[in-house]
Amino acid sequence: MRVTDAFSLQCVHVGTGRLRASKAATEVILNVPETRVSPLENGLQVASEDSGLSTCTVGLWIDAGSRYENEKNNGTAHFLEHMAFKGTKKRSQLDLELEIENMGAHLNAYTSREQTVYYAKAFSKDLPRAVEILADIIQNSTLGEAEIERERGVILREMQEVETNLQEVVFDYLHATAYQKTALGRTILGPTENIKSINRNDLVEYITTHYKGPRMVLAAAGGVSHDELLDLAKCHFGNLPSAPEGGLPPLPPCSFTGSEIRIRDDKMPLAHIAIAVEAAGWSHPDTIPLMVANTLIGNWDRSFGGGVQNLSSKLAQIACHGNLCHSFQSFNTCYTDTGLWGLYMVCEPSTIQDMVHFVQREWIRLCTTVTENEVARAKNLLKTNMLLQLDGSTPICEDIGRQMLCYKRRIPIPELEARIEAIDAQTIREVCTKYIYDKHPAVAAVGPIEQLPEYNKICSGMYWVRE
Amino acid sequence: MAAAMAWLRRGAWGPARRCGLAAGRSYSGGGAYPSVSLTCPLPGVPKAVFAAAEGRERFETRVTVLENGLRVASQKKFGQFCTVGLLINSGSRHEAKYLSGISHFLEKLAFSSTAQFGSKDEILLTLEKHGGICDCQASRDTIMYAVSADAKGLDTVVNLLADVALQPRLSDEEIEMTRTAIRFELEDLNMRPDPEPLLTEMIHAAAYRDNTVGLNRFCPVENTDKIDREVLHSYLRNYYTPDRMVLAGVGIEHEQLVECAKKYLLGVEPVWGSGQTKDVDRSVAQYTGGIVKVEKDMSDVSLGPTPIPELTHIMIGLESCSFLEDDFIPFAVLNMMMGGGGSFSAGGPGKGMFTRLYLNVLNRHHWMYNATSYHHSYEDTGLLCIHASADPKQVREMVEIITREFILMAGAVGEVELERAKTQLKSMLMMNLESRPVIFEDVGRQVLATNTRKLPHELCALISQVKSTDIKRVVTKMLHKKPAVAALGDLTDLPTYEHIQAALSSKDGRLPRMYRLFR
Repeated sequence: MRVTDAFSLQCVHVGTGRLRASKAATEVILNVPETRVSPLENGLQVASEDSGLSTCTVGLWIDAGSRYENEKNNGTAHFLEHMAFKGTKKRSQLDLELEIENMGAHLNAYTSREQTVYYAKAFSKDLPRAVEILADIIQNSTLGEAEIERERGVILREMQEVETNLQEVVFDYLHATAYQKTALGRTILGPTENIKSINRNDLVEYITTHYKGPRMVLAAAGGVSHDELLDLAKCHFGNLPSAPEGGLPPLPPCSFTGSEIRIRDDKMPLAHIAIAVEAAGWSHPDTIPLMVANTLIGNWDRSFGGGVQNLSSKLAQIACHGNLCHSFQSFNTCYTDTGLWGLYMVCEPSTIQDMVHFVQREWIRLCTTVTENEVARAKNLLKTNMLLQLDGSTPICEDIGRQMLCYKRRIPIPELEARIEAIDAQTIREVCTKYIYDKHPAVAAVGPIEQLPEYNKICSGMYWVRE
Repeated sequence: MAAAMAWLRRGAWGPARRCGLAAGRSYSGGGAYPSVSLTCPLPGVPKAVFAAAEGRERFETRVTVLENGLRVASQKKFGQFCTVGLLINSGSRHEAKYLSGISHFLEKLAFSSTAQFGSKDEILLTLEKHGGICDCQASRDTIMYAVSADAKGLDTVVNLLADVALQPRLSDEEIEMTRTAIRFELEDLNMRPDPEPLLTEMIHAAAYRDNTVGLNRFCPVENTDKIDREVLHSYLRNYYTPDRMVLAGVGIEHEQLVECAKKYLLGVEPVWGSGQTKDVDRSVAQYTGGIVKVEKDMSDVSLGPTPIPELTHIMIGLESCSFLEDDFIPFAVLNMMMGGGGSFSAGGPGKGMFTRLYLNVLNRHHWMYNATSYHHSYEDTGLLCIHASADPKQVREMVEIITREFILMAGAVGEVELERAKTQLKSMLMMNLESRPVIFEDVGRQVLATNTRKLPHELCALISQVKSTDIKRVVTKMLHKKPAVAALGDLTDLPTYEHIQAALSSKDGRLPRMYRLFR
């Protein structure tokens, strides 16, 4: 499975529950368990939250994805993820599948541009077995030639599947143009010729280069005892290599280029368009104001009807009343040192021009005249979405794993709330001006897009000549 | 704060690698917003004191009945948020004497303006103050109005729920917008490549011809203009009565919830008046069996340039039992044992790779695109069905493969596959119940139907007791019924209903052979 980080309102989801005590206090009492973090000697971080359930989620978050690939081996991280369930020195593929299915557990994996994740869901009593299995599949995978050959077909079929999802197609094009000639511009699956040619050597090399203690997090949530998890980690992951001499491989630089890709196909019923500017990386302080701005633009689908779900969104009201599109979603996709902030829309061919006009008008409004009232609502909405999302062991485990990789810690809820609270309309205007105003966007459009204004015209919609 | 920021700029702290990267871009404004990388703790934030998990959650569901018959059910749960909502015994199955589509309208109209709240926006603003969101879902037998919010806002939330359910304004403008939204939804439903919702509609219509759960769940296009406030009021007067309602809450104290219920839901005159209810439909589902066919060109369902192969979809079902009967559990185990899914689906081990529809069907017949078992169950009936899809030329073969699987269900059940299905059913149950909204729905639906709730561990104990003889018994009983069949796509090679019926009452599940001299 490949996962694009698109539509990550989840960019920074944090903490469960809400604070109980007043803000003035020097302490806040939370009705959520603590996230405990312990490093192993090789640098691997063990992080968990115990909520006493009878089921749990445990997984390995690895700081490695398609960004660490080059033109020749693009697709390796994803290929490797596919090979993980194909048998180890200890377990054949059939043994592994039977063992998981018979214990009522689930094993899953996904690859994004910057992260690779393997995780298991199981009864809490089976935690030791789940951790042992995760350790086995990432350290002792056989990577048999026959299985590799068979998997090529599966991945090619997955590629077809991805291609029927136009949102995914448009986001791949958006990355291809925005990060052209860099690693983030490449797809997660890799081109067909790579899928056909990646060999055992490529896979082994990827593991030896990237699967190192300091780049991994073993995260767990649900019914898990941290001490037990730590002991299990020491036993099963203690032998993973730590940072090599000369340090970890550097993060490949990825620069943003304002540019466009258009794939015109008048036979398609609807146009699918994404427009984005370069935004901040995961840990940059501006990320939080950008997420508030993202919430302000919001999202909408015409089957919501006039009862717009997110009424802090002016754009939703305009789109709804003018019948300007079938749906739109504002997104803020973060990477380590860069990000894409923008909007994805699905329109009838004849409303594209109007829709783009109003989108840009809203963006400029964020930079110039957004009001305190709107910002306050968006802040509330963002907090609510972040907190309500953390329901169940899997979303919480995902949150722990991702935050540990992105921030090297899990941001406590009061801190996150304080960070959102500190934002006002002035902050939004300044941050949006910095990232949006008069910036050259990246544009990707597929379908009957004759009406999409030419690139220079789109650029001239990114500023206003007036006081 | 300023001192802290100066200290931060020196970069003398924290994991240097990430902070260094983040500092690549300087912070823009000079406002109050702190320029501190997210990798580093924000100075001056109060220290968090966390709670500890007090062992396993073993709370019980408490139920109180108010004088007007409304039931209040609650369940405690760890965490600061609660989910509270009203469940009403009202759905498309109750629309027999009305225009079909009323429930669909009510679902879309939920959380619009009420006596107290001038607009949906006001409702959302009120909820936002308590970090809350709202949602309404209508199914064939139940409509659910739910709010998730900070538990401190309980009083406001119950007040709001009562107003939303009993005092909606149903303004002309709101009804007009609902009409548009429903038309769009129907259009999208027909455009979607995934036919499952449509097939589920069709097989219910076939299994329960013109009655109860067989009635249309989606508003027919021709009714969108006919449904208005008057129609809605006459329906609401009959069905939105306290004796048909449960106020359920998860993550709150029972006494508090009961108090709020008394305050806002007792002795309240709904906007449609509290006249005598006269037309309450109490009919019991009549399983009829039968076939519903929709011939449709599925050769180009793709919305983009990448083609989706043309498929014909069939769904074959038989009556199982209601969720109130003891046999419900063996049927649930059977459904798990059949399992299945798409021939190409994401997900690793644990998705049911050793279920019968994978082992016997998808792994053997690579030309099939899908084979999935579903179990729908209601208070008076149930439907166990299998969905399958393949190229239109292979429809006959596909139908026979599925009818044979039905016959095989009555044969030997292996000890290993039964244990696996039971374990997977238990794990699915417990994993679903990790989520607060799911617990809410479970509490509400069970109390609505039975006035009490079977707790998860009680259900697990019942699942553990299922034996292979139970499976055999329920299947044998099920196979005596006439089948329900839904078929969608190019149906040129679809066997007749009589032949499908014959196959399901044969020993081996084979379709009758047809010998034709000229073909």
